Amino acid sequence: MKLTVPYLGHIDIFLNAMARKIGPEFIFPPKTSSRTLLLGTKYSPESACLPFKFILGNFIEALEAGADTIAMITDHGPCRVGMYDVVMQQILKDLGFQFNWIVMDDTRILGDYLLRFNRERKRRGVSFWGSLQAIRFSWKKVRLCESIERMAHKMRPLEVGRGETTRVLTDSLRWIDEASSFRELDLVFHQCAERFNRIEKDSTRNPPKVLITGEAYMVINPHANQDIERRLGEMGVEVTRTVWFTTQITHALHLDLLNPKSKRKAIKASGPYLKHNLGGECNASIGYPILYKKEGYEGVIQLLPFGCMLEAVAKNILVRVSQEYDIPVLTFSLSENLSETMIDTRLSAFVDLLQKRRERSRSISSPIKGEGNNYE
Amino acid sequence: MSLRIGIPRALYYYRYFPFWETFFETLGFEVVVSRPSHRGLIEEGFKFADDDTCIPMKMVFAHTIDIKDRIDLLFLPRLLSVDGKTCSCPRLAGLPEMLKYSIPRLPTILAPYVDERYRNSTLFRSFSQMASALGKRSKEIKQAYQQAESTYQLIRKRMEGGENVPELFEKAGKKNLFSPKNDSGKKIAVVGHPYCLYDPYFNFDLLRILGEAQTSVYTQEMVPKEEIDSEIQGFGKDVYWDSGREILGASLYYLDSNQVDGLIYLTCFSCGVDSMIEPLVRHRVEENGKTLYLCLMIDEHTGATGVLTRMEAFIDLLERRRKRR
Repeated sequence: MKLTVPYLGHIDIFLNAMARKIGPEFIFPPKTSSRTLLLGTKYSPESACLPFKFILGNFIEALEAGADTIAMITDHGPCRVGMYDVVMQQILKDLGFQFNWIVMDDTRILGDYLLRFNRERKRRGVSFWGSLQAIRFSWKKVRLCESIERMAHKMRPLEVGRGETTRVLTDSLRWIDEASSFRELDLVFHQCAERFNRIEKDSTRNPPKVLITGEAYMVINPHANQDIERRLGEMGVEVTRTVWFTTQITHALHLDLLNPKSKRKAIKASGPYLKHNLGGECNASIGYPILYKKEGYEGVIQLLPFGCMLEAVAKNILVRVSQEYDIPVLTFSLSENLSETMIDTRLSAFVDLLQKRRERSRSISSPIKGEGNNYE
Repeated sequence: MSLRIGIPRALYYYRYFPFWETFFETLGFEVVVSRPSHRGLIEEGFKFADDDTCIPMKMVFAHTIDIKDRIDLLFLPRLLSVDGKTCSCPRLAGLPEMLKYSIPRLPTILAPYVDERYRNSTLFRSFSQMASALGKRSKEIKQAYQQAESTYQLIRKRMEGGENVPELFEKAGKKNLFSPKNDSGKKIAVVGHPYCLYDPYFNFDLLRILGEAQTSVYTQEMVPKEEIDSEIQGFGKDVYWDSGREILGASLYYLDSNQVDGLIYLTCFSCGVDSMIEPLVRHRVEENGKTLYLCLMIDEHTGATGVLTRMEAFIDLLERRRKRR
């Protein structure tokens, strides 16, 4: 069995680590390129959303590379991701591919997948303890990858030589992917942190902080959002995003009760604006800006695939959140007609706006503050 | 003077209006419906609407602007799940908020949250909560609800019989526009969301064009619910959208039973539900190979001439096929 899955953040590092310990063999789709999107767009229904086109393109390339089994998640609405599997299977079959299809349905985790996993484990002769260790190891790898990404987000606006952070980040991720034991992993992580510290930086800069929120696939995957984190970082902005591989998993398994900025808390924060949870990332997209505004974030970028059913609601409500919490929001509605220039132009205008807001608040607030002090 | 409750002539108006109307009128409210869509009304509304949504949503904006100064309360129910199994398009559930934050000086919105999957938000509970907040007694509410329910069932029967929905709602019209009993003519099934099918401004009076071309028109309302359920079961995937399920089930029913010569799928640009359902219908048409198929996608820029030309070509093709047989 040569299994392939759609990209979601560092899922490739996670599953590779697991595959090396307990199998099965994974064939990841080749790195998403313009050919991927071209293939996806060509064979997708015209008005399917951008994630559909990317994932279909990925699957086609993975099948060409020799994969024979596809694992795809499904859902019970209201987002259309739950219908992806039927439509995709049909398209791939019409294209003449031979493959097995595994549907990952979150309501059947206990009844079906754990049993199936257990059967597979026994067939391969892996001990129960061994598979638990493998899961723990893979999980740790992803956690480390994400903390390295967070370091890069902080370092990029401060770097003196442009592109230095991105180089270190790419190397670090590769090293982590190659590590094969807990000891080695700790060592590698230490080295990566060291390399980040050695990057020449200008500490006098005070970069504005921007939050990237929106639809999960668009936020988490650099190929879908045109590497918006790097672009913003190189414009001198410190970014963070709301969707991470680990947070998605912990949210699904209800393990994020202690996290102060979990999706659950964000949904709660969106309450005054949208009383009912509509599903997807809609409520979280409204709630996260409120949570992060309190942390001193100065701007929000919302990403959505064009025609997204849920995020369009969030977009309309974010206008009001933006006014009431005094935080500018820039919305990117992305389709397959991506233009780097468009993204760069809009981003640099947004960064200018953030700078202007800083200057203005400085010039207005200081005399008033002085006056206030006199009265006291 | 009784309170005036405004209902925009858009979205689920085309399905549940008789229910709402009876419910409110029995309780002693005055029901005000926005005027039928026309160019001026729609263009005024599009100024306020967000560009990431579909036209039916923009139509709601337009119709809301049309009535907002003539009413005391705006009725926009959140119909998340009406039958307890399926759910609606999520855009509809967020609609009251979208309107509230986009249109200035809006009257208070009545937005009962209906989700039959949970016990504390059933249709009856949400509606009675709303009505008791308006100062009605529970006995009155129960009575009004029962009356509304029976009216709706009656209307639903007549829809199944093939009566034109907008005319049915106007109460005055009893003329049977599309006559399914006429076996001599060409038979065409038209499927799509009710708000696409029955708004003559939106679809350039497609049903009238078809009626004038001597065709019998079948819609998804005429397919009994049990048939839709069994078709979906046979399809294998449980479609979770209420409208999507109905459209897919009805199309499969018409295709499998070879009842019709042609199938028209009416959709609007950037509809999320249709983007996934339409390929499935199209695939089945290709497998089936007997039925003529047309997918008509309508956006803000579609002209009446374009639609008319395509309809004429479609009907000509049907004619030619018949002759060849």
